[in-house]
Amino acid sequence: MRYQSHKIALNFYTAAVLLFLVQVAVGIIAALQFIWPDFFILNFNTIRTLHINALVVWLLLGMMGATYYVVTEESETELWSIPLAQFQFWATVLAVGAVVVGYIVMGLNPQANMEVFGTRLLNEGREYIEAPRWADILIVVSVLLFLFNSLMTVLKTKKFTAVQGVLLGGLTFLALMYIPGMFYTKSMVKDQFWWWWVVHLWVEGSWELIAAALLAFMLHKLLGADVKVLAKWMYIETGLVLFTGILGLGHHYYWIGTPEYWLWVGGIFSSLEPIPLLVMVWDAFRTTRETRGVVQNKVGLYYTVAHAIFNFVGAGLWGVVHTIPQVNKWTHGTQITTAHGHLAFYGAYVLLILSMMYVTLPLIRGAKDFNQSRGYQAFWWMTISMVFIVITITGAGMVQAYLERLLGLDYVTVKADYNLWFWIFRAIFGVGFLIGAAIIVKDYFTIGKEKAAAVSGAAERA
Amino acid sequence: MSTNAAKNLFIYGSLLCFIVLVVLTIDTMGKLDQRAPEITEKVDAGKKVWHKYDCIGCHTILGNGSYFAPDMTKTTERKPKTYLIKFLIDPRSIKPDSAMPKLGITEKEADDLIEFLVWISKVDTNGWPPKPILAVAATSRAASPGQMIFQKYDCSACHQIQGLGGAAGPELTHAGSKQPDAEWHVRHLKDPASTVKNSAMPDFAHLSNEELNALAEYLVTLK
Ligand code: HEC
Ligand code: HEC
Ligand code: HEM
Ligand code: HEM
Ligand SMILES: [Fe+2]
Repeated sequence: MRYQSHKIALNFYTAAVLLFLVQVAVGIIAALQFIWPDFFILNFNTIRTLHINALVVWLLLGMMGATYYVVTEESETELWSIPLAQFQFWATVLAVGAVVVGYIVMGLNPQANMEVFGTRLLNEGREYIEAPRWADILIVVSVLLFLFNSLMTVLKTKKFTAVQGVLLGGLTFLALMYIPGMFYTKSMVKDQFWWWWVVHLWVEGSWELIAAALLAFMLHKLLGADVKVLAKWMYIETGLVLFTGILGLGHHYYWIGTPEYWLWVGGIFSSLEPIPLLVMVWDAFRTTRETRGVVQNKVGLYYTVAHAIFNFVGAGLWGVVHTIPQVNKWTHGTQITTAHGHLAFYGAYVLLILSMMYVTLPLIRGAKDFNQSRGYQAFWWMTISMVFIVITITGAGMVQAYLERLLGLDYVTVKADYNLWFWIFRAIFGVGFLIGAAIIVKDYFTIGKEKAAAVSGAAERA
Repeated sequence: MSTNAAKNLFIYGSLLCFIVLVVLTIDTMGKLDQRAPEITEKVDAGKKVWHKYDCIGCHTILGNGSYFAPDMTKTTERKPKTYLIKFLIDPRSIKPDSAMPKLGITEKEADDLIEFLVWISKVDTNGWPPKPILAVAATSRAASPGQMIFQKYDCSACHQIQGLGGAAGPELTHAGSKQPDAEWHVRHLKDPASTVKNSAMPDFAHLSNEELNALAEYLVTLK
């Protein structure tokens, strides 16, 4: 370990992979509830809340771990304050734990979700940002401490690299964009208007900046590619992300009670959103082709390139097919959205964090050589399962849009009769995904800890 | 392009986009009130109940949310308040196979919720959800007088015949086999609650006798 600070990064990674496992296991329960609504003691809404909150939180934890690593590497120094980082880690874990307990209590007894000072005690009842106001404040404090610590680290040696700039810029944008979700509005229209600022400007704004920065960082680490060239393309990518993504927000303002001009704004700008994602794919391939060094960490590169590809496919392609108003009018709020949500989050962010782990873990643990076969195995279990989940749910979405929206059949009939087999297949593929995720966790705890002999033995067998 | 030029383009271009977004947001905020009815205290109370029980964890509203349960934007347009209140308080007491659990909603909360749902149904959503354009073809087959009355009073909001229609009440494809007595149907339509214990079906006592008879005639033909 070059820096003591990297231990902190590991703490964050550990919490992240464990939550990942929880998220996926809970996803399978949610999938089964589509078939048997009373399958579990907690109702679907609580299970779904746990699923998507665990997802967002473990991705954020992964980003924080990755950032602590990147900042120390790029600034070539220890973190400004290791104890502060440690405190921030444990405070975050504690707050997240309290929120989860709150969700479960509320799930068992909805009356416990009392009103306190004009806000809800346990669950705010808004998708993705269900965390109650007191938790929002703790989250903001945690993110601010984290940003402060990172920033002070950069100021220690004043090595203002492009990667650090965009990474911390993206994280600051992320923190700011949490605020529009933190006040109550009497109008459901305004409620959703500001809610989308948070959700959309996160995944199609700030998080993509973070992805572009980490992509450049990983390509440099893995391939030793020229920093200048990487930086230039990173700026082009992030520029295009924001030129298309900020006003692309309009694709959520077609039907929620907002004026008609959003149909034009959203339709035009969001249709262009796949372009920067395609540039990232090209960037990954070009850099790999042009740098001819021997790649040690092949599995790391594998995940990195796969992230770029599935970011484009999941967010770009599965997003653009339903983004113009003429199509979205029929698909809005159907399972098509779920299909896109899964492939986009998986490709863009799950694979991003997993790549960062595969790239940095061997370096942190000082493992020159490690058994890479498990990483590939996990990748294929997860990716094939996810692709089939998405195909299945896209099918369910097409059936739903046709029968319900075009023919006027009842929602409940379509869900319970026509789409039943899609739900069954999704649950089965979900188990495949869980196997992949379990292999990841196993690998995470093994890399760099296996005895050298065991590693080479496994490598010979592979 | 040099790295620096790319950087400047990124920073200033993004700022410009963000400013445009802020301007559009301000304009939108100014226009929202004309696109929706006034928000009374009851509507606001209903919205709070909506959040309290995390309805969005199963339902969509304005098309956003979870995809486990039907969209709530236009619910009140086709279903009467009396039915919805009974359903909200205890879904399975009136629809035994309902996938919605009993959440502990009180009568007052249900009342506020309905007020909120009525408000949302009147928001100008640029024509969403769209009318099912292919449905016309499926329903406009030559209709008997009873069938026409069935359509006129939108019985299919709650009842299915041959796969078409809502699922709030029992399927009526074989209503005539189940209850072949036309008299019973007239009585039931006039006052469901006194005919079937705990019925949540709205009464159709305001229909003329001819209409009721025609409807009953039609129902008993459904075998
Ligand atoms: C655990 C999931 C879940 C939660 C939470 C939930 N619902 Fe439902 N709801 C359903 C399902 C599923 C249906 C579909 C009809 C059925 O299966 O009976 C439904 C049906 C309804 C209907 C009837 C729609 C119709 O057209 O007949 C209304 C109204 C409704 N829900 C309102 C609400 C409100 C208001 C809340 C919050 C207080 C809520 N629901 C919370 C699952 C849920
Ligand atoms: C808001 C929903 C709703 C509407 C609208 C509605 N019903 Fe019903 N209907 C129900 C419910 C709930 C039941 C079950 C309770 C009962 O039998 O009264 C029911 C039961 C029935 C039954 C008995 C079916 C059986 O299998 O026991 C018939 C027949 C019927 N409705 C006919 C009609 C007709 C005709 C109309 C239109 C004039 C109509 N309904 C409108 C909700 C509705
Ligand atoms: C980069 C990552 C992206 C992620 C993680 C992502 C994720 C999601 C999620 C989770 C939803 C559903 C929100 C909800 O639950 O209500 C959603 C909706 C949507 N996304 Fe994306 N998305 C991404 C990029 C894109 C892009 C690039 C486009 C378009 C080109 C796009 C188009 C849409 C549209 C149109 C909807 C609304 C669907 C509806 O009307 O129901 N997304 N996205
Ligand atoms: C890393 C992998 C996964 C990611 C990134 C992910 C992401 C998400 C997201 C963003 C949502 C909410 C948005 C939406 O519905 O569009 C969601 C909902 C859901 N997920 Fe996942 N998920 C993953 C794995 C799984 C697995 C393995 C299953 C089980 C088969 C599953 C089942 C579900 C179900 C049933 C819902 C509710 C969808 C609905 O409301 O219709 N997820 N997931
Ligand atoms: Fe979006």
